[in-house]
Amino acid sequence: MSSMKLPLAGIRVADFTIHAAGPFGTHILSQLGAECIKIESKTRPDAFRKPHAVYGRMTAATFDQVSSNKLSVRLNLKKPEAVEIAKRIVAVSDVAAESFRPGVLKRLGLGFDELVRVRPDLLMLSLSSSGQSGPDSHFAGYAPLFGAWGGLGWMSGYPDGPPVEIRHVMDHTTGYHAALAIIAGLYQRRRTGEAQYIDLAAREVSSALIGDALVMASFGKSAERPGNGDIAMAPHGVYATSRADRWLSIAIRNDAEWQQLLDVMGVARDSISPEFATASGRRENREFLDARMSEWLSRFDADTLARQLQAAGVCAHVSFSMQDIADDRHLHERGSLVEVEDPSVEQRFAVGSPARYGKTDAVGIHRGTPDLGQDEDYVFGELLGMGREQRVDLENREIIF
Amino acid sequence: MRDTDAPPGNLPLAGCRVIEISRGVAAAYAGRLLATMGAEVIMLEPSEGSPLRRTPPLLDGDSGASALFAYLAVGKHSAVCDLGSEDGAVLLQQMLSSADILIDDTPLASRPGFGTEENTVAEAYPELIHVSVLPFGASGCKASWDAEEVNLVHASGEGFLLPNGYSHELFPERAPLKMYGHFAEYQGGVAAAISALSALWCVAQTGGQYIDVSCQDAMLLCGAFALQRLGDGSLEHRATRKFRYGGVFETANGYVELLTLEDRQWQGLVKLLGEPGWAQEEALQDPLERSRRGDEINHHIREWMAQRKVEDIVAAAQQLGVPAAKYRTPEDVLHGAHEASRGLFEATELADGRRAEILVAPYQFATSPLHFQSGVPALGSFGDAGTLQGARA
Repeated sequence: MSSMKLPLAGIRVADFTIHAAGPFGTHILSQLGAECIKIESKTRPDAFRKPHAVYGRMTAATFDQVSSNKLSVRLNLKKPEAVEIAKRIVAVSDVAAESFRPGVLKRLGLGFDELVRVRPDLLMLSLSSSGQSGPDSHFAGYAPLFGAWGGLGWMSGYPDGPPVEIRHVMDHTTGYHAALAIIAGLYQRRRTGEAQYIDLAAREVSSALIGDALVMASFGKSAERPGNGDIAMAPHGVYATSRADRWLSIAIRNDAEWQQLLDVMGVARDSISPEFATASGRRENREFLDARMSEWLSRFDADTLARQLQAAGVCAHVSFSMQDIADDRHLHERGSLVEVEDPSVEQRFAVGSPARYGKTDAVGIHRGTPDLGQDEDYVFGELLGMGREQRVDLENREIIF
Repeated sequence: MRDTDAPPGNLPLAGCRVIEISRGVAAAYAGRLLATMGAEVIMLEPSEGSPLRRTPPLLDGDSGASALFAYLAVGKHSAVCDLGSEDGAVLLQQMLSSADILIDDTPLASRPGFGTEENTVAEAYPELIHVSVLPFGASGCKASWDAEEVNLVHASGEGFLLPNGYSHELFPERAPLKMYGHFAEYQGGVAAAISALSALWCVAQTGGQYIDVSCQDAMLLCGAFALQRLGDGSLEHRATRKFRYGGVFETANGYVELLTLEDRQWQGLVKLLGEPGWAQEEALQDPLERSRRGDEINHHIREWMAQRKVEDIVAAAQQLGVPAAKYRTPEDVLHGAHEASRGLFEATELADGRRAEILVAPYQFATSPLHFQSGVPALGSFGDAGTLQGARA
């Protein structure tokens, strides 16, 4: 593949990230053409290489989106010689990324200060739950905890219910922000030739996603949990339709769209309560309005109505399951879904790039999940110039392991 | 990047000039991310101002400045530019001739009139990175479809899966739920910012290019794990997408999130609970068995949690290496000791002269701390300040 077709071609990442958030960030870089070397070990297998019982997955995953596109090498970082080899990988890399708890990498001898000695213009990212500094920096956490700490969890949920657990999307948006910060850091390095260290806190990504509510709080105003409602738009929500568990999301921004909605549903304008005639009236009588909406919509097929409403300029979309996503014509026309090889299933899709590039159009997924250590010939052999015998010796001593 | 009149500064994106045409949150967030990292971002707003200036939440209830706009526009410049008018066309030309990046969320049908069609821009500005940001992208059969956040979060599969866990247990019959705010649109914004910077990275080799970003795609990418589960043979549903044990628990004074994935964390949890008899059962030493009996375990945890205060639970849990967190309100976050020590917020002037604490960025650059280059711009303040000259190449 021509490197001209991938914007980050030539950038190499020493990838120490684990779990979901960090690996998602480097996965994004790999979709853009960066060469990501995933450094892992049989002694501490990545989450997808083992069962995930709390989640209900009783075996290892056969495909892992966030590991796809990456190269894999084994290094047992509990051994000092493995740490030295890891440093040699960093020395030939532009970026190092990690997502251990703060302090772990330093204890292994792979902290930023150590790594800068072997790569003076290193760009390094540490991604953690609460950041590298501050009273809570030692806290352990996963996606739902990031959501809880940062405020997104509290703000999400039914207004009269408990807060909601934010799941993998919390990890992945964290990694997404990490990828952006790394690319910005590359510009700075290109300009200054100097090293840079980026400290990303997942809980602060959660806070960034409620930035407006935090501005309100700074004026002493408690933002209310809106559920499916919206302060300005009514009707606005997710409504049951003629088929069970087939929901339709609708957002009406103004009177013209309200009239369009009524026309498409075939509801006579003079049959409507007068308080629904204006946006403020609809907002003030939101509960009554939602009850009427539910009555009307119970007669309609969600998919047909969504198309009709969109044709009339009204924001509407069916609440898609992942099967709907996998079958969606629009997403296939855009090439948003990528078929990836998986010997264990007939056909499976992964999500490709969210952007179509006019020129660098090779952005996306090109390789599936690497087998553990599958790229050692290239990384240890070609990049580091290690001989066959040396590698066998290191394997026997469980350093490459 | 091109030389500009702006002082170089030492922020990561110093010297990068971005023109932003935004009606919605995604394009505005893209510009905001770039501005905070040092890019010079100029919003082109119509005479009546960006619709985002009037989008809730508003600081004074039904009126006043928009908190959302303040958050999204801080650190940017504002120039009035009525696209489609003669003056607007001249100004757009001036702006684009010295820009590195154009971010545009104008609906496809309006672009010919605005002069921001793909080919028109590419011919006139061959070195420009032109990023289109639309709810469903600029290609595919839904390219002309419009969407608000509630539609996007449901079009991308995550909405169907919410709420999961405790909320769904309490209200199994209710409609699926969106997350707070503009989650999907923010992902579109991150995708747009990444696209812009990655394309600009290689502009010397490839020249300018057009990039078609879809918020639906960006949100779907964030939810990719559920598609991965489909490939594994499991179609996820909010009723069943839950941790077998752990999750949201109500305490005496708030809510806590508890999640133990590793065996040592489970052992810590048993200690936290005071090593009760039920947890000593031999069978529960097996993580698979624990998963099978998750409801029973959660019942015990729920009883224990209800008697205690959330702060005490979290402090003791974290001491034992048990991942637990308080569900914090925006006020908790704004006044948090951890956030204060990390300088997460910066006091900034709004367009109406009032001051607010605004979150800067969720990442820190060690040698060049991020900060707002200016406050929230009043409409057209870029031209007023006489800085328009600076935009002329």
